[in-house]
Amino acid sequence: MNDEVPVTVTVNGRTRQSRVEPRRLLVDFLRHDLGLTGTHIGCEQGVCGACTVLLDGRTARSCLHFAVAVDGSEIRTVEDLASLDELHPIQEMFHRKHALQCGFCTPGFLLTTVELLERTAEPDEAAIREALMNNVCRCTGYANIVDAVAEAAVELRRRNPA
Amino acid sequence: MSSDTQGAVGQSVLRREDDYLLRGQGRFVDDLPTPLNTLHLAFVLSPYAHARISEIDASEALALDGVVDVLTGADLAAMVKPIAAQIELPGYSFNTRDVLAADEVRFAGEAVAVVVAESQYLAEDGAELVQVDYEPLPVVTDIAEATDPDAPQVNPTVPGNVYFEGRFATEGVAAGFEAAAHVIAEDFHSNRVTAVPIEPRGCLAVPEQPANLVFYSSTQIHHLLRTALAEFLDVAESTLRVVVPDVGGGFGIKAALYPEEFVCAALALRLRRPVKWIQDRYGALLTDVHARDNHYRVEAAIDDDGIVLALRAEIRTNGGAYSALPFGCTLETTGGARMIVGPYRITEYEYTATAVATHTAPVLAYRGVAQPVCFMAIEGIMDRIARRLELDPAEVRLRNMVPTAELPWTNIVGVRYDTGSFVESLEMAMEMANYDEFRATQAQGRLVDGKYRGIGICSFTEVSGTGAPGWRARGLTRLPGFDSGTVKVEPTGKVTAFVSHAHSGQGHFTTFAQVVADALGARLEDVTVVEGDTAAGPYGTNTFASRSAVTGGGALIRASEKARLKLARIAAFMLESTPEDIVVADGRMHVAGVPSRGLSFQEVAETAYAMNTSDLPEGESFGIEETDFYDPPLVTMANATHIAQVAVDAGDGTVDIEGYTVVHDCGRVINPMIVDGQVMGGVAQGVGEALMEEFVYDEDGQVRTATLIDYLLPSSVDVPNFQIAHIESPSIDTVGGFKGVGEGGLIGAVPALVNAVADALSDLDVNVNTKPLRPALLSRLIREAGG
Repeated sequence: MNDEVPVTVTVNGRTRQSRVEPRRLLVDFLRHDLGLTGTHIGCEQGVCGACTVLLDGRTARSCLHFAVAVDGSEIRTVEDLASLDELHPIQEMFHRKHALQCGFCTPGFLLTTVELLERTAEPDEAAIREALMNNVCRCTGYANIVDAVAEAAVELRRRNPA
Repeated sequence: MSSDTQGAVGQSVLRREDDYLLRGQGRFVDDLPTPLNTLHLAFVLSPYAHARISEIDASEALALDGVVDVLTGADLAAMVKPIAAQIELPGYSFNTRDVLAADEVRFAGEAVAVVVAESQYLAEDGAELVQVDYEPLPVVTDIAEATDPDAPQVNPTVPGNVYFEGRFATEGVAAGFEAAAHVIAEDFHSNRVTAVPIEPRGCLAVPEQPANLVFYSSTQIHHLLRTALAEFLDVAESTLRVVVPDVGGGFGIKAALYPEEFVCAALALRLRRPVKWIQDRYGALLTDVHARDNHYRVEAAIDDDGIVLALRAEIRTNGGAYSALPFGCTLETTGGARMIVGPYRITEYEYTATAVATHTAPVLAYRGVAQPVCFMAIEGIMDRIARRLELDPAEVRLRNMVPTAELPWTNIVGVRYDTGSFVESLEMAMEMANYDEFRATQAQGRLVDGKYRGIGICSFTEVSGTGAPGWRARGLTRLPGFDSGTVKVEPTGKVTAFVSHAHSGQGHFTTFAQVVADALGARLEDVTVVEGDTAAGPYGTNTFASRSAVTGGGALIRASEKARLKLARIAAFMLESTPEDIVVADGRMHVAGVPSRGLSFQEVAETAYAMNTSDLPEGESFGIEETDFYDPPLVTMANATHIAQVAVDAGDGTVDIEGYTVVHDCGRVINPMIVDGQVMGGVAQGVGEALMEEFVYDEDGQVRTATLIDYLLPSSVDVPNFQIAHIESPSIDTVGGFKGVGEGGLIGAVPALVNAVADALSDLDVNVNTKPLRPALLSRLIREAGG
């Protein structure tokens, strides 16, 4: 159980090599071994979505993956979205639309939104609500998150015209 | 002296909290850097609801490399006194709880041992290896069965499983019922729920000098926690410092004091090492305090016009296995009994309110405390009056409401409504929801395209900002009501405001800065708010029960006014004017009428801190740092009306929310954007409570809903869009005119949704008097009624 195995992943563009127990969860690896505590643990049951990261470009529950199982993968976490000087447009719209309160679930919502807007440049409200339905927010009542995602889509289209 | 600052209060100022939270730089308790020698805890939870502990064998766990110790109830009893809520109500059965069960477990999930290990993984490994032999005992979980003569006794000091029974009656109740043209009676049943903040609970105890212990906790009540740690661990309070990092939602359940916190602190002191405990979701659902497991029997005596002549309520609340700290198992009991009269002119009233003990998790505060249920009851009665007399439900409410012209008004249990807008909020919500149009369409048939459509109203009062007299009236004599604020103008002229609150998402860093900027005459961007630390600023009652705007806002206004007076005195001396002639605004002071004769905050502060060549006026002390306290009145009463429009599928019983309107009145609004956010988030939780969420024990006390797959939370496709409007009736009884808003969203949503579903199905012979209104229940009711 305690025999550590090597793991190599690219996290936020940087290659990270480490040795982990085979049972170590990806989320614990990110949070406690790499110090990327923006990814949160809400249920460890794959329901709440607070631990959502992008795994090879697709949303994944980092509480349901073992670190060893994603060896060789590319991972993106919330820490990769903003620059030092500027928030990502999705983050900026979450701010302007008051789409977060306690902020604990927010990183998961942001990464889910990144995936949605990479696939669908112009989602309607129903598509946004459907995309967000696997992330639970207990504070906001969702309406402002839906607005923020819609506004972020507009802003991203403005910046990157098709 | 005056302030003519363009007000920051009332503006939708964007939040300062957002930038770091959005970047993933929030510091929730599990995100805090921990010293390398930190020990981790895992608790061994009882699988039985009621059992005698015959033996605990920890040898296998102790043999595991990395497990430092395993402690049981007897071990902890030597380190922590039994914890107990202090309730001074006649007939209250005092009861205590061991922080780890020593002889007997009383609910499924109660901890019987704790494993201390070098990592969280190892602690959990150890917990699995602890062998506990239990001797199962008979169980009672149901509120109605708890007081059967042959029900098993839950707690040795709670005879007959009755924690408390309160009674109240005015003289004319019987006469009211004798004079009644009709009596409307109903039994209302409410589901057991819990708050489920997405961040589970946790704490980190770090022994450190000069304070002996720095205790980080995801709590809403840091000062009360520190006092309780001192009391039950028997250590000097002055050697403890409690710090609240970012908290990922609290909603009342983190305003309880939990055994794990005492265990964690005690072990850090004993082992002289940092000790950390982070809860998992399974543990959260089992051991966080629960709420709303209530029965209400309500009878209203009415005349032919639908006017309530007298009201009787028989309230039973399930308090669980122990009376939880600090508010006790009577919180819902006394709350529902006192709040049910709402915005109505109830002049004759009688209640019996009972809290019972069962083999279930302790019950304490969850957003709205009692009010979602007592308003489900009284608002359900209003709708039943309407149906009996063939009146519109809105009309029945309007006939019974206290009109604004009659405010201030003191209700039948002695609570003063200083200002409000009961009638206006209902009328405005009806207009926004196109209520009359909806009724006209509905008159042509409720069933259209396979869906029954209905509309539901909840008009309610919302208790907020409770002061010490308000807690005393409910037996909570050891609970203060005041909060404190300290306003410090630094040598550079920037302002630090300390407040005795702790946020869990409310945006305090922004809203309290708005309050201080206006009251002090500072620029908003120059004000920084510090809170959630017992070492920063004086004592307070902290953040629950919609308190922070009222008590923290009031305290900060008072402290700011003192600081502003001092700025003006020093500025007047420097400008050779008089303090009365000094205008403080926008971070500057000048002589009235002569803006050019002015000084910046920094220039005045340099004098106060002796950092220039100016003298201070005779008798003036150094620095600019002022503190004040504010205890609000008995309670501060906000009000609102919610109107929900629903479609109930005739086939599968699913409920779609097709429209949702809120008109809220929380007095003077500090930040409309944040108020709207509080309302919307509360409504979402109300959608969960009314339609989905239910914590279920089977008859053996086993938990059927121990994961978020079984305990359903509303998602983005379940919660509607909202129309929200505000009426501002500033409080005349509070400093600042603020009223609370934290709970109203949830309080109003539950009754509005239940009434809307009942209205949708009102052509069928069904009685909607329970929740949650899940598809299985509704489709069965519709089927049985031949719909």
